[in-house]
Amino acid sequence: MNWSIERKLPLFVAGLLLAVVLVLLSIGFGEVRRASRDLANERLQRASQQLAEALQRSLAQYRAQAAALASDAGVVAFLASHGRRAHARALSALDHIAHDTVSNIAAELWDSGGRLLLRTGRLRAGASSIPASDSAAVSPLIRRDSILYYEVVHAVRADGKGPQATSVVGRARLVRRINLSAQARAMLTGLAGGDALLLLGNAAGDPWTDFATVVPAPPATVLRSATPTSYERGETKRASAAPVPGSPWMVIVEVPSPTILAPARAYLRRMAPIAAVVVLIGALGAWWGSRRITTPLREVTRASEAIAAGDLDRRVQVDRTDELGRLGRSFNAMTEQVARSLQHSETMLRGVTQTAHDAIIAADAEGLIQYWNPGAARIFGYDTAEVLGKPLTMLMPQRFHDAHRSGIRRYVETLQARVVGRTVELAGRRKDGSEFPLELSLGAAPLEGGMSFTGVIRDITERKRMEEALRATNAELESFSYSVSHDLRAPLRAIHGFARILLEDHNAQLDLEAQRLLGVIDQNTRRMGQLIDDLLAFSRLGRQEIDTSRVDMRELARTVTDDVRRAESDRPLEITVDALPPARGDRALLRQVVSNLVQNAAKFTRGRTPARIEVGSRPDRGQTVYFVKDNGAGFDERYAGKLFGVFQRLHRAEEFEGTGVGLAIVQRIVQRHGGRVWAEGKLDQGATFYFTLPGSEG
Amino acid sequence: MRPHEVEILLVEDNPNDAELTLRALKQRNLANQLFLCRDGAEAIAFFAEGVGPVPKVVLLDLKLPKVDGLEVLRRLKADVRTKAIPVVVLTSSREEPDIARAYELGANSYIVKPVDFDAFARAVSEVGLYWLLLNHPPQ
Repeated sequence: MNWSIERKLPLFVAGLLLAVVLVLLSIGFGEVRRASRDLANERLQRASQQLAEALQRSLAQYRAQAAALASDAGVVAFLASHGRRAHARALSALDHIAHDTVSNIAAELWDSGGRLLLRTGRLRAGASSIPASDSAAVSPLIRRDSILYYEVVHAVRADGKGPQATSVVGRARLVRRINLSAQARAMLTGLAGGDALLLLGNAAGDPWTDFATVVPAPPATVLRSATPTSYERGETKRASAAPVPGSPWMVIVEVPSPTILAPARAYLRRMAPIAAVVVLIGALGAWWGSRRITTPLREVTRASEAIAAGDLDRRVQVDRTDELGRLGRSFNAMTEQVARSLQHSETMLRGVTQTAHDAIIAADAEGLIQYWNPGAARIFGYDTAEVLGKPLTMLMPQRFHDAHRSGIRRYVETLQARVVGRTVELAGRRKDGSEFPLELSLGAAPLEGGMSFTGVIRDITERKRMEEALRATNAELESFSYSVSHDLRAPLRAIHGFARILLEDHNAQLDLEAQRLLGVIDQNTRRMGQLIDDLLAFSRLGRQEIDTSRVDMRELARTVTDDVRRAESDRPLEITVDALPPARGDRALLRQVVSNLVQNAAKFTRGRTPARIEVGSRPDRGQTVYFVKDNGAGFDERYAGKLFGVFQRLHRAEEFEGTGVGLAIVQRIVQRHGGRVWAEGKLDQGATFYFTLPGSEG
Repeated sequence: MRPHEVEILLVEDNPNDAELTLRALKQRNLANQLFLCRDGAEAIAFFAEGVGPVPKVVLLDLKLPKVDGLEVLRRLKADVRTKAIPVVVLTSSREEPDIARAYELGANSYIVKPVDFDAFARAVSEVGLYWLLLNHPPQ
């Protein structure tokens, strides 16, 4: 059950109290009932004993009467004479007894032959049901109509005395009704404890009487039991039986069980309201206590719900010093901490997004715009209010709409991205309807059961324009170099060709000075041809694509040095190639680098004996530094900066030939690979050229 | 000079280059049956007349007035009657796109004219020797 603690706690306490009270009540009730029953048992037993004794006592009296009658001289004489004598005396004795009490309803004298000789009283009882005895026998109760009576029969002997040697001449019989004085009954009833019913009957069964009317005999179980037992007669009775000594009778004193249990019920009646009050007070106390605890808890709960809903200014009002107070205070501290860090990160985020030059736009899984930064407003021309909740398609030309919608759908369903997680170039549409090129970096993140897309958009109109301009410049440069290579070389070839023809075909007509001058023309046109070729090679480098692969630098250096050694075979040249680690780069271009450096070294070691060139490498800060070292002419360190410039030369043309492009080409290639090139040297003490290549395995 | 007598067809607009080429070939005695076209249109016209013997080799400059050399090359190689004629591109351009395009269109050789006359003469005469004397064309 989804109940609050405030409700559960009192219910729990009330339930607990109720259980305790119920247990106590039932124990108390049981105790009282048992005590009542014990008391009732004792009383019933005593009452039944006393009743039996009272009856025994009155019986003893009647038996004495019977004995007295039997021994009356007149009676003896009467019977002994078979009624012929002493009639008057016998009658007198009978009358005396028969009218003695109200209960004596008849007195009779019978002879030994079983004939009724004389009788008095109202009842004609008929033949005796029991034999006479010398000690006056008492008969079972006999019922005639509504009357219950019994007999006391005493043998009459000839001498009126005991049984010794005297013959029985007849018997005296008293017939009596059951009678118990009202006083005795009240006394006994009181003894048994109110509501008691006194019963008398034969031990063998009917008839039974309650001393007023005839009642059914109680069950045998009751009669045989020595202790009080219960039985049903209309209602549950508690009954105690006792035999009446000297008779075949039994008495029973019984009380209705409800009467016995009355004190227990009274106990319940008295205690139940008290218990109810205790439970109620307990429940109220528990409710009050739980409110004391749950009110601050509810406050914390509400506050945390409010905070979860975004109200970070919410604080808990708990003015206590116990654990709940501590909970409230630490909750507040935590909230403050959260609010602070949230505010911090929000400020940071706002700082980033508000000042970003790029557009930052977030959209949900339906492609509806959820966030729009000032950069976006500047680029697209829409204010934040104009775009929030609107579809992203408003930012793109019509022709992209379908692809955009299916792209979002596909990504949300399958997480398969074509654009997400990448940077792509697309076209955007401004508020004024104009299109512009843009660069989009798109990210996606799951957000509260949905998907959030964040795009960073850069207007690349300017960049595109620059790229276009650069392309145009390149094309121009290309056509220029084409012209240079084609149009400049043709006249040069003509000059050179015709100068040569002049020298060869018309040598005879030319004097020595003319021949020398033609030789100068020849030299200079050659040199200019070389310059043009080098210049073209250099300019071509800037446009050439770099085709990167793993390059075995040692192998490459070997082929280069072999070529140089072959070209310079007319002089002693010691070239060593160390074990060079491989590099990553364009094989052909790197070959040109090594070739230019080694040829450079060969050129400037001319005249050295021996001329030494070393191609080697050394590791430096995680990358490899390759170098080409020679013992040649070296250079003045002051001019080291000019070494790699185009057409820059540190030596006069007469000393060393060259166009001054070789090292410029080296620098350009290394730089295009992202590496660095530099040189160390001293005049006449050799030079070392170093270069690095990113990605070389240092 | 009739087309059936032509051994070398030189397509060259620059008279100086034409003269130097001619001189280089002459020194090897290869220029006796040479026909010179001054532009691309002339070269195309030469083949348009086309019956009878065809040249053993065409030396073709690329940068030509009217119709440029690559177009001439394309037409020659596109025509079943002329596509077997060896075409040697003889030009000042060492630009990679030109070289690639020329071979794509079916050029048989691509020679960059050196500025140095000695080298130029050597190249031209070797080309003439090869295509006129060593090469064996289909009959």
